[in-house]
Amino acid sequence: MRFTRTSRAVGVAAVAALALSACAADTGTDSSDGGDDGEATGGNVRVVEVNAFSSFNSNTSEGNVDINGKIAYATHAGFVYVNNDLEVVQNEDFGTMEVLSEDPLSVKYTVNEDVKWSDGEPVDGGDLLLTWAIGSGYFDDAKTDDAGEPVSGTTYFDYAGDTSGLALTELPEIGEDGRSITLNYSEPYADYMVAFGDMTGEAGISTPAHVVAEKGGLADEDALIELIQTAPAGDPENPEERPEVQDLADFWNAGFDTKSLPEDESLYLSNGPFIASSITPDQSMTLVRNEDYTWGPEPKVDEITVRYIGEAPAQIQALQNGEVDIIAPQASADTVEQLEALDGITVEQGNQLSYDHLDLNFDGVFKDADVREAFMKTVPRQQLVDTIIKKINPDAEPLDSQLFLTDQAAYEEAASSNGSDAYAEVDIEGAKELLDGATPEVRLMYNRDNPNRLNSYTLIAESAAKAGFKVVDGGLGASDWGAALGNGTYDATIFGWINSGVGVAGVPQIFKSGSGSNFNGFSSPEADELMNELIVTTDEAEQDALQVQIDKLIWDSKYGIPLFQVPGVDAYSDNISGVEYMPNQMGIWWNFWDWSVVQ
Amino acid sequence: MVTYIVRRLVTAVLILFGASFVVYQLTALSGDPLEDLRGSNAPNRDQLIQARTELLDLNTPAPLRYFGWLAGAAKCLVPFAATCDLGSSIQGEAVTTALSRAMGNTITLVTTATILAIIIGVSLGIITALRQYSGLDYGVTFMSFLFFSLPIFWLAVLLKEFGAIGFNNFLADPDIPPLTILVVALASGLIWALFASKSWKRKGVAFVLGAVIAAALLFLLDLVDWFSDPGLGPIVILITGVGIALGVVLLTAGLRNRKAVYASLAMVGVGLVAYYVVNPILTAATIWMIIAFGLVMVLVGLLVGYLMGGYDRGQSMRAAALTGVLMGLVIVVDRFMVTWPAYVSNPRVRGRPIATVGAQTPGLDDSFWINGLDTFTHLLLPTLALLLASLASYSRYSRASMLEIMNMDYIRTARAKGLSERTVVMRHAFRNALIPLATLVAFDIGALIGGAIITEQVFAFAGMGQLFVQALRRVDPDPIMGFFLVAGILALVFNLVADIVYSFLDPRVRVKA
Repeated sequence: MRFTRTSRAVGVAAVAALALSACAADTGTDSSDGGDDGEATGGNVRVVEVNAFSSFNSNTSEGNVDINGKIAYATHAGFVYVNNDLEVVQNEDFGTMEVLSEDPLSVKYTVNEDVKWSDGEPVDGGDLLLTWAIGSGYFDDAKTDDAGEPVSGTTYFDYAGDTSGLALTELPEIGEDGRSITLNYSEPYADYMVAFGDMTGEAGISTPAHVVAEKGGLADEDALIELIQTAPAGDPENPEERPEVQDLADFWNAGFDTKSLPEDESLYLSNGPFIASSITPDQSMTLVRNEDYTWGPEPKVDEITVRYIGEAPAQIQALQNGEVDIIAPQASADTVEQLEALDGITVEQGNQLSYDHLDLNFDGVFKDADVREAFMKTVPRQQLVDTIIKKINPDAEPLDSQLFLTDQAAYEEAASSNGSDAYAEVDIEGAKELLDGATPEVRLMYNRDNPNRLNSYTLIAESAAKAGFKVVDGGLGASDWGAALGNGTYDATIFGWINSGVGVAGVPQIFKSGSGSNFNGFSSPEADELMNELIVTTDEAEQDALQVQIDKLIWDSKYGIPLFQVPGVDAYSDNISGVEYMPNQMGIWWNFWDWSVVQ
Repeated sequence: MVTYIVRRLVTAVLILFGASFVVYQLTALSGDPLEDLRGSNAPNRDQLIQARTELLDLNTPAPLRYFGWLAGAAKCLVPFAATCDLGSSIQGEAVTTALSRAMGNTITLVTTATILAIIIGVSLGIITALRQYSGLDYGVTFMSFLFFSLPIFWLAVLLKEFGAIGFNNFLADPDIPPLTILVVALASGLIWALFASKSWKRKGVAFVLGAVIAAALLFLLDLVDWFSDPGLGPIVILITGVGIALGVVLLTAGLRNRKAVYASLAMVGVGLVAYYVVNPILTAATIWMIIAFGLVMVLVGLLVGYLMGGYDRGQSMRAAALTGVLMGLVIVVDRFMVTWPAYVSNPRVRGRPIATVGAQTPGLDDSFWINGLDTFTHLLLPTLALLLASLASYSRYSRASMLEIMNMDYIRTARAKGLSERTVVMRHAFRNALIPLATLVAFDIGALIGGAIITEQVFAFAGMGQLFVQALRRVDPDPIMGFFLVAGILALVFNLVADIVYSFLDPRVRVKA
């Protein structure tokens, strides 16, 4: 019986198969077994990015978008890169950075002999010199009035990075070997290690001088070197016309901007592990291994495909559907919850480099340090972390330093000595004592379109009210809060800063008297003194020691209080290994050479 | 008529001016382009702010900046001068480039959905009108309103979950459990019963028939592993072809027209021969070859219809040509199906064919067939989402219009003089019922290019909608103005076209001018 049933089924199947395919036409598809496009051994990794690629020059202010920086990171090499402990790592395979003298600071950069661009041209002194000329603003002679309108002169290279470091150096000479350059600083510069960029955003030696020279109207790279070495430095008092430099700058500023792969290969030369091979504008981009590359960590995969997906839910479903391997969506409680529900996926949670902080103005109601201290005592930091951050990063804790992030080595030392433990717990009684019956009215400004800030405000206001503060909601919309910073219409504010994680140039920008991002009027001669010392200190241990002191001074002055680091999340499929969480803006890209496909 | 059109065009230009000014101001007011820099602690913050201020010319008040933009845009009116300057995005890309790319993507996304929505929506509307207040009518009405009221982002998420992730999981191991067969059989039976006419007996028969056929089909397909190795083969093509021929004749000429039936059946034979002859050539197919193939089938159909001769050659020719094209389509579909296993096993597809994002698998550069399938698997879900959401309006409009026509006196007259029901419905009612739809279709084609903002966003599709959303996020007026110009001009033009077409279709409303 059973046999007959089976045989009947087989019979039906045979008839059906006959009906469906018998005597089918010759379609030529049977012989080819598919997948014959020569997939190489290392395999391919598919990464998701939120923004679409727009420029092969991530150093201009137009091209300075996260994705361009990541592509530049994968396609270029430099003297240093940053690891996920936020330490600067030297890449000796690319070249050496030799400190000739500490004071006056003199550093010699030498590119190794076999390092070359993907068109075969060597990476040499000309490339270093051009990178220097751009990064130092050597030719710039622009002058602006108080409103920021240019009055006279020109800013040639529209460089997005900070020119102040390299501006301390005099016109460098190219060494005898043609592959080296020596920078002589007029005063010691703390961040000299990353003066040529730290590969985050400003991607090492990323501008091929021979290409810029030719496209910018000069004969060749030698003419460019000649031009840089003979033209006088820009002087805002005596601006002069420099048509040749202008042509070079015009090409550098816009010539590398493209959303599709240029016909001209010289516009996307690589001197790093990967090279762009195809781009579908606004959708995807493919990088393939740069076969010549040996000067640095060597990648394990042969190909990286970057896909742009804006929405976090769409990223998650694409990962779940196996269309992509690695995602780093905008972190939210929903995102984490959805990711954790998936099988075959590893989720990594951690901190980002941006952190929210509450700043108190040093005038108005907060002129009195006791009032500031009282307000700080009421801030429920642990509660903020529990309600806002823990859902995304379960390991999160309140941030206890104004200068260091939890991911940095010196954080523990700073946090334990700066007096932040006095504010670990909400102390309403203590605050009431300090206020002594007064009920100051505090106007608290924040971006009310940002749900995290709104939550922070609500909890802080609630807690402060218990101590007698009358907190006025000064929340502004997303388009207005930024313009209101430092204009004196509020007494306290909640917003975010980004710590670069590397280097110390950002410290005086926030905390020095009268500095550009010092919005609350903090001024401490003692701290100013230390910061002046900080930015000319080249030794890392000494830098940390100085920063610990500055941190304590800031806390002692009742500056305000850091709240928490913004959490981040990434997730990858179990087909991939080697992905590691990174707090800075390079994200998962920082060690792309370790990515490999699990066979 | 000419003065009328000129008058409308002049008004259109004025509207465009006013609206573009308003849109520009609204965009400029919508946010602070310096927001991310203001709260920055970068050491070169001031320099960055200054660079962006200069780039976007922020020190000039927005109303004045508009005229700067207008001066560039006005150059687009100079014909053949190629001086068109719609500005550039914050990242330095010319708006004209971005627009043409985004328009292309949007058109590929929305065209199929719109055409299918029109065909299916109108057919459903007509059928439900003919069966007013039947179970079918209620069923279709319920479903179309259900999909109409579902938020499209949610619908999209559901489609991805079941249509892509679930279906791909199924394809990895295509084995249909008996329970699924049972459920599908019941559902199919119900649908058949809904379509059957009023008497309960016929409904019962239809239910059983529908259930049995669905169950048998699924069982068979499962048995021969059709889902991992699909294809039609000559016999199924033949059966489908005969079905198509009879259906086409039924709608165009009526089965009583024997000559038309023979002509169409002859075309099925031609199609079957073509299946063997053309398939080897199709290995190196291009889109033009496919179009040429379709044209040849039409010409052969016309010839066969003509040679069949008889009292009304036109009818036979139409029926045969239509059958020919549809046979060609079946052959092409078969070819795509046969290519399916090669596509699925492609190392870039990795055995998960149905995609949830984007328009193509990056790096997949293969034959016309593989890339065609790739486009299909990527467009399937967004097209379904758009289709389901827009079925309601078409089906409701055409149902209402058909009902109105069917109650007209001239329909009664047509019936009274003894015309067959087919002639009454297809010739007298259907054509007239389409007139009000002309307006709707014209508007929808205008809105087509405007993009489906949410759908594009959810499916990560780089079309007009994304262009708009991303520019708005960066408070970047130029791309938004480009988007607005295209969408605005199309809306105005198709508005005009709708009115003109209407006056041609319906002599009663010819404008006095």
